[in-house]
Amino acid sequence: MASTAASLPTGFRRIFSWPRVRFTLIVSAVFGLLMGLHRGAVPVFITRAVLVGGAVLLIFGWLEKWPKRLPRWLPRTVLRLIGIAVIIPFATGLSIGLTGGGTEHDYGLMLGVGFLFAPWIAIGTILRQRDAFAREQALEFDLQRSEFERRESDARLRLLQAQVEPHFLFNTLANVQALVDSGSPQASKVLNSLIAYLRAAVPRMHSQTVNLANEVDLVRAYLEIMQMRMPDRLQYAVHLDPAAARIACPPMTLLTLIENAVRHGIDPSEAGGRIDADIWLRDGRCVLRVTDTGVGLRSQTRGLGTGLSSLRERLRLAFGSDARLELKGIEPHGVCAEASFPARETAT
Amino acid sequence: MSRPTALVADDEPLLREALVRMLAAAWPGLEVVAQARNGREAIELFEAHSPDICFLDVQMPGKTGIEAAQHIGRRAHLVFVTAFDQYAVQAFAEGVLDYLVKPVEVARLAATVERLQERLKDSQPALNSEALLQKLAAALAPRPETQALRWVRASIGSTVRLIDVQDIDFLRSDEKYTVVAWRDDAGAPQEAVIRSPLKELLTQLDSTQFAQVHRSVVVNLRAISHVTRGENETADIHLKGREEILPVSRTYLHLFRQM
Repeated sequence: MASTAASLPTGFRRIFSWPRVRFTLIVSAVFGLLMGLHRGAVPVFITRAVLVGGAVLLIFGWLEKWPKRLPRWLPRTVLRLIGIAVIIPFATGLSIGLTGGGTEHDYGLMLGVGFLFAPWIAIGTILRQRDAFAREQALEFDLQRSEFERRESDARLRLLQAQVEPHFLFNTLANVQALVDSGSPQASKVLNSLIAYLRAAVPRMHSQTVNLANEVDLVRAYLEIMQMRMPDRLQYAVHLDPAAARIACPPMTLLTLIENAVRHGIDPSEAGGRIDADIWLRDGRCVLRVTDTGVGLRSQTRGLGTGLSSLRERLRLAFGSDARLELKGIEPHGVCAEASFPARETAT
Repeated sequence: MSRPTALVADDEPLLREALVRMLAAAWPGLEVVAQARNGREAIELFEAHSPDICFLDVQMPGKTGIEAAQHIGRRAHLVFVTAFDQYAVQAFAEGVLDYLVKPVEVARLAATVERLQERLKDSQPALNSEALLQKLAAALAPRPETQALRWVRASIGSTVRLIDVQDIDFLRSDEKYTVVAWRDDAGAPQEAVIRSPLKELLTQLDSTQFAQVHRSVVVNLRAISHVTRGENETADIHLKGREEILPVSRTYLHLFRQM
């Protein structure tokens, strides 16, 4: 059959779809045949019945869409049945007239059969149609929901993959080991930063949103570790407007921007550079801006984009089309990344 | 025989000092004559001191440890020091070159030292032949995007921007540049210029989403609103929310034949 449940045809093609026309033809022909056998004029009655059936189908289909709006006291089903009741006498008269006239008895027979059967068939059709419509909607809803769930789990998976980075962990631990071996008092401070970073990072993968104060704590721990690892190449400042502290954001939003600045801006540069992170509110939106004075967008470093693409997806899942993420190069070298989204406070 | 000498290169100062300290314990006879913070310094200091052995961190800013190694060639015995990175470790494990994984383990360093002492004693040539280094460089080179391109670098006036490929409507080649028609986050149509030829970009784009429709036009299939047939076996592509109409040439018309 042409129409599977997933998408029914719409408009004119749906109202006068072939299955419906075929159904009308067959039913009318059967009634015509029975009446014809009874009256002894089979072809004439089949023609008449098909004409009446066609007229009923026409009004039935037409009233399905017209008028567009109905008063509340008049359900469309009732209107369609009234339409059928009105059309049957006229159509019957016309069909008899077109087929060379007939007796009053012919008229009465056809009218009786028409009134007896047409409304029930129409009601049956309407009920079937409602079922199909409900099924179609349920299916579409399921489809949408599974698509949404898939995208969300994809984003979360990518977040997880981006975060579990043995490279970072082992290099940091190598540094901690170096500090411990040399008996440096810095060792416990760095270990504390690493613990703070891990504690903040691990439960975040599961939670939907965090607030920007949490996010800044995480970023400070990360930057302290990175500065210990490249003391002569990294300077940084993080400034959080206190008004934005309790604003909700998807986990790792600021961290992704900062990691990106370190990995693609500062790390590939012999001279290193400076990272500035500013978070503030502007016109009801929360703005996160991270600028670095690293090598800029020219460098071809491995993995560029994975983190940012997944961040963009997470922002879209959380805020729809209201989220912005922009990257541009700055002079003389470096990158400015700016993310913004509607400012909403986290529920406490 | 004079005292053997070594150079240690690592961009992370704590790790560099730690390795120097560990070497002093594992090989008291070795003299570390130079410490470098990046590949460029490693090359300069190698030329200045001609050490017998170079310990080179693989990932360093500027020039990498591999690039420094290629410069040094067989003039010294090389030991690579690599961060824990599946790919790098795999690349080394397959070869015969000496390597250490950070954090460096004492036992592992002791074994490496023993091998180096042996080689110095017998005056064996360095293992690091040009062919081996080249193979290693190839194995560690940033892999050309095996995955489809996610962002393109484009200029708008004097600013450089990263544009998500999902936001691109179409690409049109314009002599040696490519014009990219995209949407900003507000959904407004924009144009920017990419400094690489269309042909090169096309190979990196996801072929299920982007299709070449003309010698000089590649379109994002999701941006198409509808296609109208023209005369003489051509067609025009109309885009969602954009004025431009894109030509489809005869060669690519088959893409839009009705299913």
